[in-house]
Parts: sequence; structure tokens; C-alpha cells
Amino acid sequence: MSYQAKGLQAWLLQRLTGVFMALYILYVLGVVVFSESMNYQQWSGWLSHPLMNTATGLFFLTLAYHAWVGMRDIVVDYVPHDAFRLLVLTLISLFLISSSLYLLKILFSLTLIV
Amino acid sequence: MHSSVHSAVRTAKNRPKNLNLLSVRFPLSAVMSVGHRASGILLFLALPYFLYLLQLSLSGENGFLQVKNNLNSTWLKMLMLVFIWALAHHFIAGIRYFLLDMDIGIERQTAQKSALLVMILGVLVTAIAAFFLF
Repeated sequence: MSYQAKGLQAWLLQRLTGVFMALYILYVLGVVVFSESMNYQQWSGWLSHPLMNTATGLFFLTLAYHAWVGMRDIVVDYVPHDAFRLLVLTLISLFLISSSLYLLKILFSLTLIV
Repeated sequence: MHSSVHSAVRTAKNRPKNLNLLSVRFPLSAVMSVGHRASGILLFLALPYFLYLLQLSLSGENGFLQVKNNLNSTWLKMLMLVFIWALAHHFIAGIRYFLLDMDIGIERQTAQKSALLVMILGVLVTAIAAFFLF
């Protein structure tokens, strides 16, 4: 059975998405930790900056892909029976798709207000 | 993993059906790998909660303060520590896999040592976070 991302492609993308997410997380943690107590204006202003807004959207897309490959590998290893496995994988993909849409909604509402 | 397959005469018919986990040795790298998977699942499950916090914090002045106040409760701080461990372990273990892929530290002895280092660093980061949170 193939679930789209396979073999070398999944292996490579799992690492590329990992590197991008690592850089984004280090940057965000650095800003949040070192700017001690941000207020609402600074927080929303920072996230609505076009670069930060785009980077966050990109971060979540790479996260969704990374999580899909990782969860799929675990499910394929431990969940028996093709039908049950397909059900679990379907639930995981729905979970990731709806989470991504939720994040896009948050990002869009931010840019529309400001 | 070192399973108990000693005899070459063991055929498909008399092969033990249920894997006895006690008969399997778990080297440090295996324990770390289980941690990598477990932390990945934890982070996956935490996604909606963090999205909710993000949405609330951006919904306006009130929501922003609400998130800040929420994160002051002891229970949420403890929950956050679990996620901080998961992220730290997943992050550092990921770097180790990345290095292994580039043939860095691929020798068995080195790989066992780096696996232990990953687990120690994950706990250390969590401890430092706990120090600042509480």
C-alpha cells in the first residue's frame, strides 16, 4: 500500500521539513524568551508582519507533512489489519487537514484586521 | 535489538507467535528511539490545544491576558513541562538522526553514547525550563 509520500522522497522531506521547523522554533523561542514580557500590540504586530505570517503558515504546512510521515510510519508498524489501519490513517489526515485550516484561518483573520 | 533466535532449525511453523518483550534487549538507542516516537505522538496530539492558545492570544487584548493568566496555573505549567520535554527530546534526537544520516557518529559505541546524551539533554532542557517556570 502506498500513502503518497514514499521511500527516498519521504526520507528526504522528513529531514528538510525538520530543518526548517528547527530554525523557525529556535527563532520564535529566542524572540519570546529574550523579549521577556510582550504586550498584545507587540505580539499581534509581530505575527501579522508579512514575513512572520508567511513563515508561520509555511511552518505549519511543513509540520503537517512531517507529522503525517511520522504518524504513518508508526501506524504502519503497530496497527494491524488493513481496514483498521486505513481508518486510523484517515482520522490522522483529517486531524492534520483541519488543524492546518484552523491555523490558516487564524493567520488570515490577523492580516485582515491589521 | 537482540532477539532470541538461536537455532537455525526454527521454521515458520514453530516460530513463537507473540514476541516476548523480556527476551529482547533494549540498547540505549532503542529506548531513545521509543522516546522519539512517543514525543512525536504527544506533540501531534497537542496541536489543537496550541492552536487554540494561539487563536485566543491573537483574538484581542482580553484573550491575550487570558492566555497569560492561564499559563500561570500550576497544572498548566506541569502540562507545559511535558510538552517542553517532548519538543526538546524530539528536536535533539532529530539532530542525532540527521548526523547519523551524514555518517557522523555512526560507530556502534559512539551511537550508544550519543543516544544517552540525547536523553540527558532532553531532561536537562526540561529541568531548566522548570526552573524558570516555577
